[in-house]
Amino acid sequence: MFKRYPKKKKILYSLIILCFIVLETPLILLANTTEPFVLGMPFFLFWNLVWWFVLTGLFFIGYMINWGSAEADS
Amino acid sequence: MTIGVLIIAAFMIIPLVIGFFAATKSTKTSEDFFIQGRGMGAIAVFFTVAATWWSSFAFLGSNATFYTNGPVYLTALAWNLLFGFMYYWVGKRVWFLGKRFNYITASDLLGDFYNNEKLRMIVAGILLVFTIPYLQIQLTGGAYLIEVASGGVIPFWLAALMFYFIIVTYVWVGGIRAVAWTDIIYGALLFFGMMYAGYYISQHVGGPSGLFEGLLATSPEHLTLPGPQGAMGYPMWFSLFAVTAIGAFMGPQIWLRMYSVKSGKLFNLMPFLLGFAAIAYMGSLLAGFTGVLLEPGLANPDQILPVMLMEYAPFALASLILAAGAAAAMSTANSQIHAISTIVTMDIYKRYQNPKASQESIIKVGRWSLIVFSLIAYVMALVVPGVLVTIGIAALAGTAQLLVPTIGAISWRRAHPTAAIWGLVVSIAVVLLFTFVPVLKNPLGFHAGVWGLLINTVLFIGISLMLKRTDKEVVSRFDTARNEYNKLYHPELVDGEIDTKREAL
Repeated sequence: MFKRYPKKKKILYSLIILCFIVLETPLILLANTTEPFVLGMPFFLFWNLVWWFVLTGLFFIGYMINWGSAEADS
Repeated sequence: MTIGVLIIAAFMIIPLVIGFFAATKSTKTSEDFFIQGRGMGAIAVFFTVAATWWSSFAFLGSNATFYTNGPVYLTALAWNLLFGFMYYWVGKRVWFLGKRFNYITASDLLGDFYNNEKLRMIVAGILLVFTIPYLQIQLTGGAYLIEVASGGVIPFWLAALMFYFIIVTYVWVGGIRAVAWTDIIYGALLFFGMMYAGYYISQHVGGPSGLFEGLLATSPEHLTLPGPQGAMGYPMWFSLFAVTAIGAFMGPQIWLRMYSVKSGKLFNLMPFLLGFAAIAYMGSLLAGFTGVLLEPGLANPDQILPVMLMEYAPFALASLILAAGAAAAMSTANSQIHAISTIVTMDIYKRYQNPKASQESIIKVGRWSLIVFSLIAYVMALVVPGVLVTIGIAALAGTAQLLVPTIGAISWRRAHPTAAIWGLVVSIAVVLLFTFVPVLKNPLGFHAGVWGLLINTVLFIGISLMLKRTDKEVVSRFDTARNEYNKLYHPELVDGEIDTKREAL
């Protein structure tokens, strides 16, 4: 299935999966520290906000490019 | 005090007015009452999905979790994004099949694809049994907030009664249209309330920067996993992410919000909007962490936000923010009551008791079941105590199990009814055992819902690969529908789909 996706859809889905891997596998524990404080907040909070921002941005790009499909609708 | 009661009164009356106005737009059909004739537009879809899934669990439970267990609730940023992505990827396919084959409930789709009455009943049973406790915590949270916002003038039992009287009245007259329209008001109020409450309260400790520096000096364990009690490490971080997003997404109220959508294109934008809305949790983080500095050692953590607001904010502002919390509870409760009524009416009454029921009698049964199940939840709220997040997660773990057979139905022609039944039965047994038997609780720290999903997936795939479906006409009907879907929305896949079909035949 994934093999047949258009290139931009493959890239989009791969980046989304990568972001979820960073946020929700034990990799998140690498950022589980208070120092350094960035923008006045502990590093763990900052790290989560950065990846949330990236993923939300990818979802917006997904909307803009029709989620990479060549997409229609009574 | 008077201002508080006035805010509560406005909060109760406005939804009623909206509900009665929505009723003027209704047509007297069951499809309109339950899924708005599949004609819901973008603004209503976003607000009703967001407000339905953000409940008192989100408004009060998030503050309480930051307050007692540190940063584990930050995983909500990711679970909102997962929920949004599932609403697009799974929801759009469910919507398409619903429109093509005229489905209204989860049992309709799963019962039809798997061609199995037993499975249809199991699905309806799971949704009923696991949605009622979640409905009960909305009532508990919402009524408590109304009691506090009124300065105690309205006691808990009366607040809970008013809460349900209002909801049942406008759902009775306006069906899902009234629910969706009131959710626009509720949704706007709850996002404002969450954000502003955190910002306002944190000013008492020097704003966000002062708050984090204060925590670093006095309770640094609140800023990293596993939190101050050492109980919320990585396993619970992942468990909350998976169980909350999947469990809420598979709730009967969200199924109705997949079927109700006017156009498939609306699904494309929802992941971004639902993911972006998660920023409101920063308000909860600020409020919960401020509580650690201002009100350490509170006996019931679910009350941390109301306690701080009453102590540190002007009464009118406190009442307004608490009304926003009650909005979070009501916007979930109204959808759940409506969804439970839909299951009872369509999956039980119309399917087994009166298959030839008229539109009028279907709507009548739907309306009366609103009252019956509201009463059950009301009695439970008065007699069953409990922590909002604990009960909420246990309920979500049950509904989450439906994701496995659902993905099978929308994407895998080999998915077998026996596999779906065994996967569901065993995983629900695992969820109940790992939740209620103390020695078995949360093996390796992962929540029962995660173990249920894992066992469910293994059984579902394993048994489906071992057995072959004999009802070729059903399989082929769904092949055709999936191919139509791909032609419309993923034309680049169509040739491949046909190849796959040929290979399988």
